[in-house]
Formats: sequence, C-alpha cells, structure tokens
Amino acid sequence: MPRIIIDGRPIDCREDISVLQAALDAGGDVPHYCYHPGLSIVASCRLCLMEMKVPNPRTQEPDWSPKLLPACQTPVRDGMEVRFHSERVRENQRSCMEFFLLNHPLDCPVCDQSGECWLQDYSFKFGRAESRMIDEKCKNPKKDVGPHTLLYQDRCVMCTRCVRFTQEISGTSELCVVNRGSRCEIDAFPGKPLANPLQGNVVDLCPVGALLDKQFLFRQRVWLLTSTPSICAGCATGCAIWVDHNQGTLWRLRPRYNPGVNDWWMCDDGRFGWRYVHDGKRIAAPRVRRGSEQTTPDWAAVPQLVRFRIEEHVRRHGGATLAAVLSPFMTCEEAWLLIRVLRDKAPASTLVLGPVPTAGETRHFPVGATGNTVKFTIQAEKCPNRRGIELLLAAAGGNVLTFEQFAEQAGKGEFKGAWIVGGYPQPWVDKATAKLAAQFELLIVQDIFENDLLPGAAIVLPACAWAEREGCFVNARGLIQPFQRALNPPAGAQRDGQYLYEIAGFQGLYSGVRVRAMMAEKIPAFAQLHEPPPMPRHAH
Amino acid sequence: MIRDEDIIRIAAPRLTAAERLYLPQVLDGMKTTLTHLFRRPVTVKYPEEKRALRVDNHRGLHRLNRDEQGRVACVACFMCSTACPAHCIHIVAGDAPWPDREKYPVQFDIDELRCIYCGMCEEACPVDAIELTPEYDFVGTTREQMVLDKEELLAVYDRTCGLKPRKNPRITGYPGTGHRGQSVPRPPADEAT
Repeated sequence: MPRIIIDGRPIDCREDISVLQAALDAGGDVPHYCYHPGLSIVASCRLCLMEMKVPNPRTQEPDWSPKLLPACQTPVRDGMEVRFHSERVRENQRSCMEFFLLNHPLDCPVCDQSGECWLQDYSFKFGRAESRMIDEKCKNPKKDVGPHTLLYQDRCVMCTRCVRFTQEISGTSELCVVNRGSRCEIDAFPGKPLANPLQGNVVDLCPVGALLDKQFLFRQRVWLLTSTPSICAGCATGCAIWVDHNQGTLWRLRPRYNPGVNDWWMCDDGRFGWRYVHDGKRIAAPRVRRGSEQTTPDWAAVPQLVRFRIEEHVRRHGGATLAAVLSPFMTCEEAWLLIRVLRDKAPASTLVLGPVPTAGETRHFPVGATGNTVKFTIQAEKCPNRRGIELLLAAAGGNVLTFEQFAEQAGKGEFKGAWIVGGYPQPWVDKATAKLAAQFELLIVQDIFENDLLPGAAIVLPACAWAEREGCFVNARGLIQPFQRALNPPAGAQRDGQYLYEIAGFQGLYSGVRVRAMMAEKIPAFAQLHEPPPMPRHAH
Repeated sequence: MIRDEDIIRIAAPRLTAAERLYLPQVLDGMKTTLTHLFRRPVTVKYPEEKRALRVDNHRGLHRLNRDEQGRVACVACFMCSTACPAHCIHIVAGDAPWPDREKYPVQFDIDELRCIYCGMCEEACPVDAIELTPEYDFVGTTREQMVLDKEELLAVYDRTCGLKPRKNPRITGYPGTGHRGQSVPRPPADEAT
C-alpha cells in the first residue's frame, strides 16, 4: 500500500490509482471536470493541477517542481509528496474557472442543471467573484444531438466525458469533438444521432448543463426533488438507481453507483420506462364479487375476507385444487408472504412462477464486447425478480409448476382456485390465459392494469409499481438487492406488502426489513444482501 | 416566594393644591381636543377616498411584468416559489414559443389568500418579473377567485404599470459578471482568424 504525502498529511492509498483519486478518497476537495473513475483519463480540463516534489537537477534534492502537474494523470508512488493548498495551485484553479466562464451564458435561471451543476459549485468555491471579460460572449445555438438529448454548446466546458462514454462504454462513438481551440464543439456525425441504448448516461456524466434530457427538460428544478435509492425493475440486471420524486410524482431515474452490477450507468429502457407508474388507468381499489354483485370493500375488511374465501374454498374442494401464480415483479418479501398464506391454509397447494417477459437478446456493452471487456449488460429478461421467486419456490418445496404446465393442467380443470399475481407494466394476459379464468371457482387477481382476467375474478387487489414496493430483488447474478419505497400507491390503493402482511396474520405496518429477517431464519440466503457502497461524491 | 427585602415600597407623590383642583389638567386636555378640531383630519373616507401610498415599496397584490415585446417576462426559474415561505406560488414551466427565449411559464398561479406579502418572491426573481404592487383592495367571493393565474397577474401589470413602471433588467446583465451591456464591436472575421 503506497503512502503519499498530500499537503503535508501522510495518506495510505490503494495501488494503481491517480493522485487525484487518492486525494478525493482521503476526503480532499479537488476540482475536476474531465476525470471520471469510470472513463479513461485525458487530463484536458487542467483544474486538478498540483505541485509535486521532484529532484532538483542541480542539487538532486527533492524540491517543488516549477511546473504544475495534472493530479488525475499522475499515478501514486510510495513516498511522493504533493500539495494542493498552495497559491500557485489556487491561482491556476481561479484562472481555469475564468476561462470556463468566458463564453458561458450564465443563464442559470433557465438551465435545468442549476442546483446540480459543477460549474456553479466550482466557480463558487474556486473561481473569481467577477469576470474581466468585456467582449460580447460567443453565442452557440443549441443542437439536437439525438432523440432524447439536447446539446447546449455554449454551456459546455469541453471535458469530453460524453465523447469518451460513447467510445468506451457504449462503444458506438456517435459523439466527437469538431474544430479546434476556442472554436471546438461537441457534435454528432451527420445522419448518426446519439441513439444508443445507453445514451441517457451522457446527461448524468455532463458536469454542466450542456447535455440535457428532453423528457425532463423544464419539468422540475432539481432542488425540489427527493432522491430515494432503488433498484431498476426494467430487466434482470438490477441496476441500482435513484428515484427522483417530488410530492408523490416521479420525475426521473438516475443510475446509482453499484460496482460490478451497473457501475455508474443504466440503460435508456430503464431510465425512461417508468411512465406507467402514473398511468391514470391503474387499479386503485379492491373489488369483491359474489354472484353478479361487485362491491369495493374497506381495506380493513380485506384481510379477513381473503382468508375466509380461501378457507371456504379449501373446505369445499380441498387444498390440492388451489394454485398461486407468483409474478417476477413481486419482491421476495411479498412472494414469501403470499406463499406463507397459501401453504398455511392449504399445504398441498401448487405454486407457479408467472410468465417471464423477454425482449430480444441479452446485449453487452461496449458493442461487440465479450468476457472481461463487458462494461454493461442489458438482459433480455425484462423482469427484476425471476431468480428471487425461483429461490422461494425451491425453498417452499411441495407442488411447484412452470406457467406452461399450470396453464395445461388448469385447462384440464385440475385447479378450482387460483391466486394470480400480475404487476407487469405491459399487457400480459393473452387469450389462452384469459380463458383459464372460467375454470376457477375462486380467482384472486392482483394486478396494476385492467385485463381479461378481472371480469371472472372473485377478488381483485390493486398491485403496485416497483417504486411503490419495498423489499428485495434477486438479479441475474444472484445478488439479493434490497430497496426502499419511493412513492405512495395511487389514492385508494394499498401496498401489496401491506395487505399481504395483514392477510398473513401480522399486525401493524409492513416493513421489508422485518419480513426479511423472518425470511432469513427460514432461508439463510436472505441474510446476505448486496448493498452497494455510497456513491462517491466526486464521481459526478 | 417573594422575600420581604426584595420588595421596594414606593409612596405616591403628594399632589399640590393646584393639582388637587384637577381643573388645569382638564383644560389642558380640552386644548388638545380643540386644536384637532381645526386641523386637517388624518382619516380618509374609504372607499370613496384612498390614502396615498408609497408606490415603490408597498407590498400589495402581485403582478407579472411584461418584457419589451409584451410577452410575460418570467423565465419560469422557480426561484420565487422556492423562496416563498407560504408555498403559495405554483408554476408549470414549458418550452418558450419564441426563438429568443428558452423557458416560460405555461401556468403561473399565486394563491393570494395563502400569501403573507413578505416580498421574498420579488427579492428572489432574477429578471424582476414578479413585483408587488400598491394595489391592496382586491376581493373575491370564493377562494378560487383569490388564486390569480398568469393572465390575471399580467392584467395587474397592465393596470399598474403606469403607476409603478417595471425595473426592467437584462437577463444576463447582473452587475459583476462582466457582461455590463456595453456594445463592444467585434473584430472582422478575417482579422479574428
């Protein structure tokens, strides 16, 4: 472990990192734009320049070098001594900030980045209070670089993070730097817009307001948003994300640092795939049918009612005729509670993993990467928790079927009762599945949208979108990732976890942590959770 | 408990003979009353008459200013609604329909019943688009009427701009940022290269 001296303070740091990374890890605040731990190093912004002790050619004594050196490009070496708190370094930071702001339009009031802008933060901390520029600023019109992204060139600081991202992570190289010197600009090649499946990350990577998301543009100011850590439910990769919401409305998703799973990135399918959460057509109240009469019971009566219907069914037809279809969109905790309810009332009942939606093939990035060079993966399996449900079904034992087997046996009339959990963002009930509804005397459906199963259902319970759930998902690599609830379900609805918790006979508020502790006693795998370290603030 | 030594006992001053007569004091009071009879009254016959207010700093009804071209001057930056301690400003921002402007308020509502007329919105506004006017006598028969929308706030500007003209700064013309609005001739293109 090399030991280096930063500003007179000895610091033990990791091998093979840059001095900048070591200084940031040690809690120092060194300004930088072009450096990002997930991208290659170009040392182009010149903000992180430092002073270093090198041997004086005359005396061979170590002395402060007359030239400033970029901290991001200098690897750590045992015994080296550097300093950031010197007048020359500060003067460089002030001058750099002055150059960055020369042509900057200072339109912070209308810029979406303000509030999370590193040009604002650094000019406040390291810049001058006043600009000496008296010439008129160069105006550079905004450019449409892709279907989801706008480029405001006059706000750009030319850190080239976006260019490096398209070259190194997505591997599609749509963006490039054109022209030279003070005229250089970021641009996309003619006829080749920025449209790769990871392009949304360039907006997060951009330290200033140059690259902005069209869908989020002008919708909210960032300081009004609350960020809740969550897990993306778009595919089986299980990217760690931030859910940014304000007063119960979701506004955007951002990737959260999760080394080995999604690092700093997320795909556009996940990033823009949350709109269904605020769909007005969502089921928001429980419904109960007896004969032709349909009522909306009070939530307080629901647990007793569901328990009574299941007990009545078991008395009349026996427990073996009962089946539960568990959706891969449920959290492990909810699925465990449902299995517990069912197996408690009818130990011979059948458990089924619901249909697993897939789209295309699993895609690796950079494009064409294999093995160790893969930096990001979009899974073909478009659900977050197939492995979690499989783990629970294996632990539960007894009668377990695949959805195809279940559909076949149900078609023959072997099941008289079913509890079917949906929760799919896309319509999932095909004609064959809808026909099965007629086979059941007791059908309990838990779903978010209206579908063809509902007319035949005895009890309909509203399901939640993932941002309203709380629990854990098991991703494609088998990592058990817990996440928090970001939003409340639509008015009138209750969280799946809450009513399943009450149906299972517990009282009080559902808590993912408490249920997980009970699960871990029965299934030891759930004691080991994968929680990523907090996002390093410098990896902005 | 109050200790006896902490109590200071004060005796009432003895009145002189003239004071005990009470008449000089009564006459003194009558003098004040009589002088006021011949002064101009400080009250006004509201609502037929209205007091003259200090137009520049009276914090009354809000208005949304118009720019030189008559468009709403607000750039929908949400600074006023962020600064508002009463949370009475609701803005929905959108893409401006004009080529020289980026962002504008699609919707701009102020709940005048919720407002505490502190003037923080005016302080926070980077383009001096929201201002408080000397207008104080606004009424409504329902709560909804007291929530003014963008058009109503612009109408307030139209009727008060004669009384209190807009301060009217440029968006990037903050002092100290270098852009001081001087017109500096740019060098010809061939010289610049």
